[in-house]
Amino acid sequence: MAQATADTKSPGLATDAHVKYVLTLDTKTDELDYWMTEHLRLNGAYWGLCALHFLSHPEALPRKETIDFVLSCQHDNGGFGAAPGHDAHILSTVSAVQILAMVDGFEELDARGKGKAVVGKFIADLQNPDSGSFYGDEWGEEDTRFLYAALNALSLLGLLSLVDVDKAVSHVVSCANFDGGYGAKPGAESHSAQIFTCVAALAIAGRLDLVDQEKLGRWLSERQLPGGGLNGRPEKKEDVCYSWWVLSSLQIIDRVHWIDRQALIDFILGCQDPEKGGFSDRPGDMVDVWHTCFGSAGLSLLGYPGMEPVDPRYCMPKKIVARILGE
Amino acid sequence: MVCAERDFTLTKRTLMSVASLHATAIRQLTPALLSSTATTDAPPVTVGERSKQRYYQTNPVERRFEEVGFPGLTPAEKKTYTHSRLILPVANRQVSLSNKTDREYWKQVTKEGLPCRRLKNNYSWGTDKHGRDVGTYRFEELKKRSLSQAKLTALTVLHRQFLLKREAARSKGAELPQEDIDQEKKRRQEMAALKRELYGEIPGPLGNDPEWDDVIPIPQEEPQDALARIAYTDDYAEAVSYLRAVMASEEYSPRCLRLTEHVIAMNPGHYTVWLYRFKIVSALKLSITDEIQWLNDVALNHLKNYQIWHHRQLLLDHHFANTLSSDAEAAKQFAKSETDFISKILAKDTKNYHVWSYRQYLITKLNYWSPFELATTQSMIEDDLRNNSAWSHRFFIVFSDPSHSTKGSAATEYDPKVPGAILDREIAYAEEKIKLAPQNQSSWLYLRGVLAKGGRGLDTVGDFASQFFSNLGAEDEEVTSSHALDLMSEVYHKQGEIEKAKLCLVELSEKWDPVREGYWKYRLSELK
Repeated sequence: MAQATADTKSPGLATDAHVKYVLTLDTKTDELDYWMTEHLRLNGAYWGLCALHFLSHPEALPRKETIDFVLSCQHDNGGFGAAPGHDAHILSTVSAVQILAMVDGFEELDARGKGKAVVGKFIADLQNPDSGSFYGDEWGEEDTRFLYAALNALSLLGLLSLVDVDKAVSHVVSCANFDGGYGAKPGAESHSAQIFTCVAALAIAGRLDLVDQEKLGRWLSERQLPGGGLNGRPEKKEDVCYSWWVLSSLQIIDRVHWIDRQALIDFILGCQDPEKGGFSDRPGDMVDVWHTCFGSAGLSLLGYPGMEPVDPRYCMPKKIVARILGE
Repeated sequence: MVCAERDFTLTKRTLMSVASLHATAIRQLTPALLSSTATTDAPPVTVGERSKQRYYQTNPVERRFEEVGFPGLTPAEKKTYTHSRLILPVANRQVSLSNKTDREYWKQVTKEGLPCRRLKNNYSWGTDKHGRDVGTYRFEELKKRSLSQAKLTALTVLHRQFLLKREAARSKGAELPQEDIDQEKKRRQEMAALKRELYGEIPGPLGNDPEWDDVIPIPQEEPQDALARIAYTDDYAEAVSYLRAVMASEEYSPRCLRLTEHVIAMNPGHYTVWLYRFKIVSALKLSITDEIQWLNDVALNHLKNYQIWHHRQLLLDHHFANTLSSDAEAAKQFAKSETDFISKILAKDTKNYHVWSYRQYLITKLNYWSPFELATTQSMIEDDLRNNSAWSHRFFIVFSDPSHSTKGSAATEYDPKVPGAILDREIAYAEEKIKLAPQNQSSWLYLRGVLAKGGRGLDTVGDFASQFFSNLGAEDEEVTSSHALDLMSEVYHKQGEIEKAKLCLVELSEKWDPVREGYWKYRLSELK
């Protein structure tokens, strides 16, 4: 296996610029985009905080303000909205739980928020008792993303026992496709991001034995294009975010060595803005916090020097997950 | 009584220039001083300078007093200064004088021509919307501003009349005629323009619409100061603040439906507004087909938005529960019109994940396993052989159709219920497309998927796959499909021809797919 080094043809990771980029995100309140993305504010905070952790600058965001903001998004039913005043949704709820996990804020959730148990109940109530899958909110949209979000958050809270894990597992299995991948619901096309949610959910449930790992690994490794980048589906363009979705799935089934590691590192580094910081989807495009999170997570998974090791199931620092799960 | 230059109420002479009013008033009050001192100063250029001059005109000896102080004044100046200072206290009986002295005093005042009213020093004109001191305005500028202020006041009077009139009408259970409302709308637009011009306030279209007067908008809690700079964001911030208010009061009405449309037009990614819209549609029992019609345009304008498709699915479920489940013909018609629209949108964005997912949901929900569905998918594959979404959908409609498949059979497992003829047809179809584009991943994956469903081995397509390479390992080696080599390595392996299998994998690793060297090495290690 090729040794990851910083002295290749690529420019090297501009850590300081990336940290600065993430820290200035919240100050751009005079930009239209800031207001247009309000429905993603809590998720955005998670992506930014993750990036800082992976770049080994976890203390860069003020802890108290972070917790205050997260708790201000919580509803009486325990769920979290994307921003104060937005409806509670499972996707913002998992972001809230993950942020609190990263800043060691579960005690504050109990003391100042509605408490862990209420969050657990909010999530558990979203399970469809017939299929085992999860809704995103009271509106009943089902998607393997929501199922993964539920298992992720509940396992971090130590409340997995609130839901029917076996049923959830069998729903994931029903989303497997003929090509070895998984889709958003039964019958839907295989997609790298959906594969991550399915495989990571099975890993959290301890049921990787249900995955045809060789077939899946073959499909995932075929995502690498000659330029080194990974795509999300066959015959589509490469994109930095798939460095996470594909790579983490390969890591979970222990097959990262099936792709060209150095070529992918070079591709990811080519997507950074070395001066202003941040990563984009492809070289030369506009950077954003989403690609900055998954670009740095990808580099961490690839063992790039100086990065905080990441847990492929949770997209969080390994040591934090280990501390919480007691692994 | 002190004359403050700004203390004019404009209700009566609203359209009259305030500036000229001031001038007239002051000229009448201080004839003597205007004729004496005004001529000695240079004419003022700004309104602030003029205020200063008028201050000196109405406060005699004040300038000298400022320059030399009381002790430096001549005895005559001291007398004038003191007299002028005493005018108000004496007039207000704060200083009690005997009748005789009082008469003497006023005689003296009249003789000297001292002003009975005087202006205060350092009059503040305030600032305009740019933060500029209005005192630095030239006269023409002030005249224009004053005229606008007067116009705004006049409009405000009419606006208040409208509100009173409407209240009176409503107390009798009536509404004002549309003509009045239209006039008020026009009036508010003019008022908004004037407020923007004078004070930089930007009331949005909803604040200008009388229909929304009863709603008190709930503004954003986050910092708002930055918002004023972008006009578009102002409209958005306003709309969302009204949205919060009507959502909080759980109002489901036609105007709220229009409000959701307004917000969606500006930001279709706003998650909550879609859910609220669906609540309105179901609460008002609106026509689902009308809503779908509206949604079509939104979908065509925002291809990457997934809320649109979730909203559509909610509408489908709602429509199904109320109508379609008991009316097979209506269900068929609906499925047909839906798939027609889906085809239209897929023509613009052929691999849209949400659209394809909705299509699968629709077919399952309405049991719409029609030959038409297979045909349209087929034509999408013909258009682009590499459209993995279309291949994936074909697999779904062929192998999930309950008329010739086992219910609940997993996509990866052998299904004995699938007729051989269908398997043959699908294998032939995949092979035909592979021949057209041998390096296409999608068609090879499809071929493997069909074989697994039919319980047929890879060796059954060995001859077919072998045509995509020749002279393996030799100088003149030719490979037109790495996928064929991959498949044949498995076939050879199964047939016990390890060396041949190995050769395929070595060539893949070294020549035809080196980026996945790690994978091919693994496969090689499995051969032993």
